[in-house]
Parts: sequence; C-alpha cells; structure tokens
Amino acid sequence: MIGWVYRLLVGLLVILVTWDLLREKSLRRQAVAAMVLVPLVLRLLMIK
Amino acid sequence: MAIRAARSWISGIVFLGGVAVVVSVSAVAFRDMHRDRPIYPGPGVTRVGMLSAYLGDLAGTGLDTEVYYLEGQTPGATVLVLGGTHPNEPAAFLAAVLLVENAVVERGRLIVVPRANRSGFTCTDPGEGHPQVYEIPTPGGPREFTFGSRATNPVHQWPDPVVYVNRLGQQLTGSEVRNLNRSYPGSPTGYPTEQLGHAITELIRAESPALSIDLHEASPEYPVINAIVAHPRALGLAVEAAMLLELDGMNISVEVSPVGLRGLSHREWGDNTDTLALLLETSNPAQGRLRGRTDAALVLTGQDKFYVRAGERNALYVRFTDRGWPLEERVGRHLQALVSLVEVYSAQHRQTPLVMQGVPQLRELRRDGLGAVLQPPR
Repeated sequence: MIGWVYRLLVGLLVILVTWDLLREKSLRRQAVAAMVLVPLVLRLLMIK
Repeated sequence: MAIRAARSWISGIVFLGGVAVVVSVSAVAFRDMHRDRPIYPGPGVTRVGMLSAYLGDLAGTGLDTEVYYLEGQTPGATVLVLGGTHPNEPAAFLAAVLLVENAVVERGRLIVVPRANRSGFTCTDPGEGHPQVYEIPTPGGPREFTFGSRATNPVHQWPDPVVYVNRLGQQLTGSEVRNLNRSYPGSPTGYPTEQLGHAITELIRAESPALSIDLHEASPEYPVINAIVAHPRALGLAVEAAMLLELDGMNISVEVSPVGLRGLSHREWGDNTDTLALLLETSNPAQGRLRGRTDAALVLTGQDKFYVRAGERNALYVRFTDRGWPLEERVGRHLQALVSLVEVYSAQHRQTPLVMQGVPQLRELRRDGLGAVLQPPR
C-alpha cells in the first residue's frame, strides 16, 4: 500500500515537472526541469 | 508570440528526448545490477535450496537467497559458512563461491550461503564511488561479479528510521536497519533484513551446524582486522586455529565477541543457538576512508598509494606496502582460516569430524590466482 502512495506522489511530481518543462520559455529553466525529471523517473521505476 | 510558444514546446520535447535517453541508459545499468551473476555448483554440491525454506515469507522477495549443501557419504559435523553478509566485502563472497565450486565433502556436511544478503548485491553504497562490477580472468574467459552495498537495497526495504533500535535494544544509526550483521537473531515479523536474520538463525536451529562462520572484510584502519572474532564458547577453538595459522606463517589475531554489542552474528548465533559462532576479517582497502581512486583495479589488487603512506606513519592495523592486499590473498586467508578451524574441531571431535577436500589454500591462490580455481563462465 505504501508503495502505491509513494508511486502516486512521485508520479504527480513527474507530471508537474514535465508540464513545467514543456511550458517554460527559458531554455536554461527547461534544462533544469529536465535534470530534475531524470532522478524522478528513475525513482518511479525503482519503487517496489 | 505564437512562434516563441512553439519554440519552447519544440525545445521542451527535445529535452524530454534527452531525459528518455539518460533514463534508458541508467535503467539498463540499474536492471543489470539485479541480475544474479552465476555461481557454478562444483562436484561436491549435492543439493541447492533457498533460504525461504526456513522462513516462508522470504519467498519471492529480493532477500531470498541460495543455500548450497555439500554432503559427505558418511555422517559427521555440519559447518555453516556465510559469504556476502556485506556485499561490499568481495573476499568474503568469493571465498564462499570457491567452496561451492571446488569443495568435496567426504564426511559430514558443509552448508554455504554465498550471498547472505542477496539484496545488497543489487546496488552500491551512495557516495562511495564503488564500481558496479569487477571481473576475474579465468582460462575460459572473465567471470563478472557485482560489487554490492554493505546493506539491503533501499528498493527492498524503505524507509530507514532515524534511529534503529534492534530487537535486543542496541541503538544504532538509522541506516543500520538494513545491515544484516546488526539484525540477529532477527524477527519473523520485523523489517525485511530482520526477517533475513531470523531465517539464517532458523537455518542454524534446523541444521544444527557445529561451527557457523560468517566471512567479512574491513578497512585497514579498523582495529579488528585479519582476525577471528569468536563467541566465548568458540574462543578455545579460535585460539588453537590461530596458533596453527601462525605456525604456518599467516598472522591472525583472536578477538572475543563483545557482550555489549548486540545483533552481530558472532554474538547472537552463539547466544541463541548451540553453534560455535565465529567471524573472520581480512583487510579490504576498497572499503577504507583513506583510499584514493576507487575502481575495479582497487578491488582486485588492493593497492593504494594513500594507504601505503598511512602504513608508513603506523596509522593502520595491518602492514601495508606497495604490494597492497590483493583479492586472492584475502580470499586465501579466509579459506586457510576456515580449514584450520575445521581441522581443530575435527581433531577435538574424532567421532564426528568434517572431512573435505579441494578447498583452495592461500599458497595456491598466491601462486595461481583466483582465475585458476574459479570455474570458467558457461
């Protein structure tokens, strides 16, 4: 159960950061969002 | 305005593509760590089981692990050997692998658990920069092994408490909740690592090994090094074995298991079962705080210029020269000590000895290397 809660939280963050990445006007900020997204997606894949 | 918005979408999609590439490459490396590198049972292995036979709840989890049984033709003593309690201590793991791949028991029974904390083999410790894998050349090609973590993978046990108070009231830092060698005698309903500890304790209760030996390594600046740590009931045996080893030119000390440090194998196996509990330590510079470049070469050669300098200043508990502490030397020390302990026990119990052949010894490993006694990859 706690695994699904964790998945939900990290999944929500992934969606929000992806949304930011696509909407952001500044290239630098898009790059920052991309760097944040990498560990978030990896974490999402690792949750057991 | 519309053009600017379109540009940001396009660059955003390009960045997303970059994220996908990085994630894919990392995910492949991550998944590869979860692949057990094969251990090839030698002619002495009569049966391979799983630890979950002693605690059903472990079945299907990342902590269940193989148990190798090497049974002789006639009854005698049972000896249990654990490698891989701490998967960042490769000599302990490889000594157990060499037993599985080479030893033949004539009388008695040898039980070997090479990956005691199998989960720990699937990750490395954060911030240590350890290599994920190392290779040992054999005549038939290189054998690859994972260099793991001291503790259970957080993927299998999460989150850590701030302070871990183990079942016996020992207060430890939170991450030690995933350290198998702080979790004994374990609990069938506790943290996964405590369940693992409980399964090993149940194995000892069910199989009644006369000796139970937990193989380890430690950093060269750690006081308990190149040593046998013995439960008080096993102290006489350890001292006699150490004397034999010293006569054979292998320096080794004997330490008695402290009463006040609870949860460790050499204390809890001895207090909670009838076995004679022992722990062996060798010197592993890849674990130490003083090391320099940390790569697969350091794991294999045990050579490090900073440790040489520390040795020159008498800051270590072992002699450290340019030769370092090669992996074959450390594995050989473990196996030599194991054989001495078994010989002493067998001499004291002539009706129920453990008689085994084919265990590679220190001189052989120094001369021929590990590749000569590891089975080639299939």
